[in-house]
Amino acid sequence: MRTIIHIDMDCFYAAIETRDRPDLHGKPVGVGGSRDRRGVLTTCNYDARKFGVRSAMPTFVALQKCPQLVVVPTRFEVYRRESLEIRRIFQEYSSLIEPLSLDEAYLDVSGNDLGGWEIASRIRAEIISRTGLTASAGIGPNKLLAKIASDWEKPNGQFEVKEEEIVAFMEPLPVRRIWGVGPVAAERLEKLGITTCGELQRRGVADLVKLFGRFGWELYEMARGIDRRAVEPSRPRKSLSTERTFSADLKELWQCREELEHLFGELLADLKARNEGRPIGRLFLKLTFSDFSKTSVERAGRAPSLSAYETLLAEGFRRGGKAVRLIGIGVRFSEAVAEQLELPLGEKDLG
Amino acid sequence: MKFKINRDHFSVGLQQVLNVVGSKATMPILSNVLIEASEGHISLSTTNLDMGIRCRIKAEIKDPGAITLPVRRLATIVRELPSSDVALNTDSNHQTKIASGGSTFKIMGIGQEEFPSLPAFTDERSFVMRQKDLIRMLKNVSYAQSSDETRYILNGVYFSFQEDKLNLVATDGRRLALIGKELEFPPEHAGNIIIPAKTVTELLRLLDKGQDVKVAFNERQVAFEIGTDGESEGLADSIYLVSKIVEGNYPNYEQVIPKEVHQRIKIDRELLLQCVHRAALVTSDKSNTVRLKVADNHLEITASSPDFGESHETLAVEYDGPEVQVAFNPQFMMDPLKALSQDEVYLEIKDELSPGVFKTLDNFICVIMPLRLN
Repeated sequence: MRTIIHIDMDCFYAAIETRDRPDLHGKPVGVGGSRDRRGVLTTCNYDARKFGVRSAMPTFVALQKCPQLVVVPTRFEVYRRESLEIRRIFQEYSSLIEPLSLDEAYLDVSGNDLGGWEIASRIRAEIISRTGLTASAGIGPNKLLAKIASDWEKPNGQFEVKEEEIVAFMEPLPVRRIWGVGPVAAERLEKLGITTCGELQRRGVADLVKLFGRFGWELYEMARGIDRRAVEPSRPRKSLSTERTFSADLKELWQCREELEHLFGELLADLKARNEGRPIGRLFLKLTFSDFSKTSVERAGRAPSLSAYETLLAEGFRRGGKAVRLIGIGVRFSEAVAEQLELPLGEKDLG
Repeated sequence: MKFKINRDHFSVGLQQVLNVVGSKATMPILSNVLIEASEGHISLSTTNLDMGIRCRIKAEIKDPGAITLPVRRLATIVRELPSSDVALNTDSNHQTKIASGGSTFKIMGIGQEEFPSLPAFTDERSFVMRQKDLIRMLKNVSYAQSSDETRYILNGVYFSFQEDKLNLVATDGRRLALIGKELEFPPEHAGNIIIPAKTVTELLRLLDKGQDVKVAFNERQVAFEIGTDGESEGLADSIYLVSKIVEGNYPNYEQVIPKEVHQRIKIDRELLLQCVHRAALVTSDKSNTVRLKVADNHLEITASSPDFGESHETLAVEYDGPEVQVAFNPQFMMDPLKALSQDEVYLEIKDELSPGVFKTLDNFICVIMPLRLN
């Protein structure tokens, strides 16, 4: 029996911005790109959410919904510093920590006599006292349940799913809450009359496997709150990417190209902000089309270049042949522990 | 068209040409073989527009003529025919009847007029060499070709005919292999070409059929006439392979070959290959590295991976220079060692950031860039 805690900071970036700028207290705040550059919000605070503002929303849309929204630029160095401070708190309670991003992490605290509930409240209190920021926590016997639970009493709260409550807890949950169920899978499930995990629980495993392949087996288990994934202590990230979903689908390749330029700028800034200096092995681009079908293209590359992504975009766009809903671009870091040196052939101009 | 032919001869001929086909979707005729019958022989041709192959087989011709038939299917059928006597007969609607023993097949063909003819170009520059030399030279370097499509210039083997010498070079930007051989030719025939990787693969498959091979090229294409002495297999004259070349300038490879000799170690090739191979058994995709340390008449080869463990190999060598350590991708070491046949090789290393060089006494060089340990 494991005890897993999922800690999720409440509107992390926006909370840091309002903490550092008292003039923003009580005001709707969005963090991200400005309106004139066709920017997108990375996140926003709860005051902004009341107006229907969401993260990943184009800034101009957010401003239409909430004209008094204060949009501030991102400050990744600050967020990373706070994130490291929070991680230090985690380390006082467990060595099995798996950060998912700057503002989220799983902790495996199995066997700790304090128990999951007490550890989570101590961690949250400690975060408030050291950073002035609030966090929510979910406690459960696995990652799936801990993650769902952390949303339960958000913001600034915590919730625990106990072993004996699992089946009943999962029963009314919409299938979208299951890890890996996106809009496409949800739609397919809905066509089968399945909208909740309870309805999913009543399907046989053979049925689900026939419909979804290997994922069907995962669905069968996850609908019952079973999740065998281990908490994997901070492995170095394998890739870094940035993506954008468009409020209106892009029908033409040139429209995609325009967006690609913005994304490319964001990716470079992100790479620079993280300054990890790790060698890059591959470049990739993914597209989601108007019908939610996806494609991804990648190639070897040691440095991101706009022209490389343009080539990938043209290839992906041609493959889909449909309007584009989302573009994501990124780099995969080379996993080699040693760096292969190159012969100085001087044929770089060949691409 | 009507002829009689030996099943095994026919099958051997089809095996020579059946790799070179185009995609069926774009041009159906490119998945067909052109069969032309005249004067005691049939000739078989295939092409994918980048490359084309033709060979000739002895046959008893009743009516000369030509037809194209789906080559893969035809090759399978011919191989399985029950009798060694095969009769092939084409009617005016391109339907072709194949009879052998008690079995008969009727196959729909396409008229030969649609088949793109293989270019036969005048030999602007031509060279004759032994097939066994060319096959050995290609094997010595072809593993180093790049398969990265963004470096298309490197997706092939560079042939340089200069000053009574043929050099073959291949590189993927991390290692480079070079083999040279004296070859006599008129000075005006000197020139350089890049042979695409796929053509190299075909050549390696086709060579070793007889004594000589004639290489001819112009600005865009190269042709190989591979002599056969396969009377027993039914192949007549020569196999003709024509291919586009990779257009562009090959990088100046000479600049990456170290001029100075630093520490040179003479090593038994088989022994070194076995040691590197064993040491590499513990490596993984993430840590695909072997470390070499030479000092005090010993060469040590070690490898390790965090998930699995480590290995340690020691070889006695003649060496009394300073201690040198360097790390390489084990595959880059094993490739040339496997491709060579000499008993002894020379390994030259300088320091952890300089290339390692394998040499033999007969004009072979393989430059390998090291791995910098992070």
